Amino acid sequence: MRHAQPRIRAAFSLAVTSLLVISLITSQWWLGDSPQQMQFDTRLAPPSVHHWFGTDALGRELWARTLAGLALSFWVGCLAALLSTLIALSLAALATLSRRLDALVSLLIDTLLSVPHLILLMLIAFALGGGTQAVIIAVAVTHWPSLARVLRAELLQLRQAPYVRISRALGKSRWFVLYRHLLPHLLPHCLVGGLLLFPHAILHEAALTFLGFGLSPSQPAIGVLLADAMRYLSGGYWWLGVFPGLGLLLMVLSFDRLSSHLRRAL
Amino acid sequence: MAKPSQPILLGLALSCLVATSAALAKEQLVLAIGGEPEQGFDPLLGWGQYGTPLFQSTLLLRGNDLSPQPELATEWSLSEDRLTWTLTLRDDARFADGTPLTAHDVAYTFNAAAKAGGRADLSALADANAVDDHTVTLSLHSPRITFIDQLLTLGIVPHAARENGYSARYGRQPLGSGPYQLVEWQEGEQLIVERNPHFYGPTPAFERLVFLFTGEDASLSAAHAGQVDVASVPAALATQLPAHMQRVIMESVDNRGILFPMQPANGEQADSGAPIGNDVTADLAIRQAINLAVDREALAEVALLGFGRPAYGPADGLPWSDDDERIEAPQLAQAEEVLNTAGWELRDDGLRYKDGLPARFRLTYPSSDTTRQLLAEVSAEMVRPLGIEMQPTGRHWDAIQREALHQDAILFGFGSHSPQEVYYLFHSQHAGNGYYNSGFYANPAVDTNLDAAQAAESIEQANQYWRAAQWDGTSGYGLRGDSSWAWLVNLEHVYFANTCLDIGELGVAPHGHGWPITTNLLDWRWTCD
Repeated sequence: MRHAQPRIRAAFSLAVTSLLVISLITSQWWLGDSPQQMQFDTRLAPPSVHHWFGTDALGRELWARTLAGLALSFWVGCLAALLSTLIALSLAALATLSRRLDALVSLLIDTLLSVPHLILLMLIAFALGGGTQAVIIAVAVTHWPSLARVLRAELLQLRQAPYVRISRALGKSRWFVLYRHLLPHLLPHCLVGGLLLFPHAILHEAALTFLGFGLSPSQPAIGVLLADAMRYLSGGYWWLGVFPGLGLLLMVLSFDRLSSHLRRAL
Repeated sequence: MAKPSQPILLGLALSCLVATSAALAKEQLVLAIGGEPEQGFDPLLGWGQYGTPLFQSTLLLRGNDLSPQPELATEWSLSEDRLTWTLTLRDDARFADGTPLTAHDVAYTFNAAAKAGGRADLSALADANAVDDHTVTLSLHSPRITFIDQLLTLGIVPHAARENGYSARYGRQPLGSGPYQLVEWQEGEQLIVERNPHFYGPTPAFERLVFLFTGEDASLSAAHAGQVDVASVPAALATQLPAHMQRVIMESVDNRGILFPMQPANGEQADSGAPIGNDVTADLAIRQAINLAVDREALAEVALLGFGRPAYGPADGLPWSDDDERIEAPQLAQAEEVLNTAGWELRDDGLRYKDGLPARFRLTYPSSDTTRQLLAEVSAEMVRPLGIEMQPTGRHWDAIQREALHQDAILFGFGSHSPQEVYYLFHSQHAGNGYYNSGFYANPAVDTNLDAAQAAESIEQANQYWRAAQWDGTSGYGLRGDSSWAWLVNLEHVYFANTCLDIGELGVAPHGHGWPITTNLLDWRWTCD
């Protein structure tokens, strides 16, 4: 692949990501109850032909739990990235309305960027009582500043464009200009920005859950699987951590690669 | 909130400890056994109810056979009308600051604890009086058979009027006559204590004890790294014994079970704002069916890896529990019959419904507790074939108190050396009072038996009433009656201890996670050079 053309690499990346997304979206239908089904006589079984990724302490199939965990992370990541992008877009748009609002938005961006991500995430998730909603909100609320800064800069530049100035000179309102002339130009940025946010979002969701501030330990989330695995690693049950970890890595890398190709293409 | 910082803080703490341990030979023990009290080391607020109070002495001690033994009190007696306890104190007891402990301190402790409203139930106490420096009388409003438990568990604090006396800061700066005195307490991290030079009993073998308040994972990792001498481990991880350590098993009356909200949800809220009631668990048939469906033997094997046994009540094997309170389970066919008779219909989605209400409710457990998580997940799986969906939900304790305590089924743990706990759990007087009767259980017949037990003339007579409260032939809080709980397992407390550490003869532990192992701390010895 090293010498392949960029387009082929992008196509490969798109294919892998699409395959992953399709399997994750459809997983709830073909997995059924598998992630929860317990087989007490095959507890902590190592990987084999019968148990592809091995089983956990309650005899549940780890491949099913890993896929269910990735699917959960996918939806949480999607929603958090979408919400984050909307926040970034709204605030960037707000910043174009007046100098005061621009200063306020800039201050907000700088303030949030100066606070360590993970601490803020933990505080918000804890304050909201944990759970899926809390994680989505926490990730969304903490991940918008970088994208907002890019969008704001782009908007400020666009505001000086001749067609925008003409439109304003013709008496069009600020909202009209924003809606008709500025926002359409930002959509590609939003798409790439949202895609770039996605791997961050799922990594932080997994981290929050791993630390005990995220999803319930009863949900087969990747963070939960990794946290459970920590307890058993000293007993030599390596598969409990390796497969969920590799799954998370694959998902993050595939989306990261895809968004990089997309950014270059746009 | 402590969990994220634990690995780093533990690493730093352990590095310091390892660096100093060589110089100290084995004057110091490092223990990761949990048990950090939220309210501080204040007996008036509940400290010492489980295991040793460490800093304070109690009037009496509980022997391995649970009988009272002398401690601060050398003699004790109860008047014929069962309203006045008279105790004679030893004359060599001193607080850690060197001042003598007198009957005035004892009287102050009991009177203040009665007003403080902590875990010690002194509602029966009318007055505590110091007759002289070494004699104290405790007068009761009415006979109370379990009052002796307070003599066994309430640590004596210095009178507020004396120098270094009791104050609002006492929980953070405890002063007592126990074997150890506090050096430093970093909340959520560690507690360092040293010998009390004025302790009247035998000199403890170890000059200094360091208690690390780490989570289960960090404790296990520290044990494997050889950085702690004693670690409390959940049963599910008890097979991962490090090479240099021995597994120490402490029998216990510590149990785990599912407490059901007993009232229907009708919009009421507790004083804390937490909603009360659950329409599904308020139905007797649901509670009975769950009790019939849960395979307790399998739970003990799967969730505890055999380090425990089935539980059928709050005090299995103790004299105040009915030995006939047993159930042959799983009996899925009988459970289905119970549900069918009660009008719970099984639908195509695999769930039962009654008047449109699905048989679905949350089974909440503290998310930091591996054992409870496993018990919740496995028992939920066991009742699923019935068409009952218990949704295992892990939450922080404060979220449980805020939202779940009175409306979710909760996977609780209890277990005491005293029948007083049965009173707390099932008397309507304690409905909604803290964790005990958080399901708002109330049955007048049970109340009558519990009150009769408290007023009984003898332990034997009281035990008959305690057992009748469980099942009197027509009613009771137990399996044959209201099935207000689904008791699941009795735990064995599992510890990893350094092979050089002789823990001595262990008694039977009450609930209290890892801390009860400290009960015979004075017997511990280091056996290596």
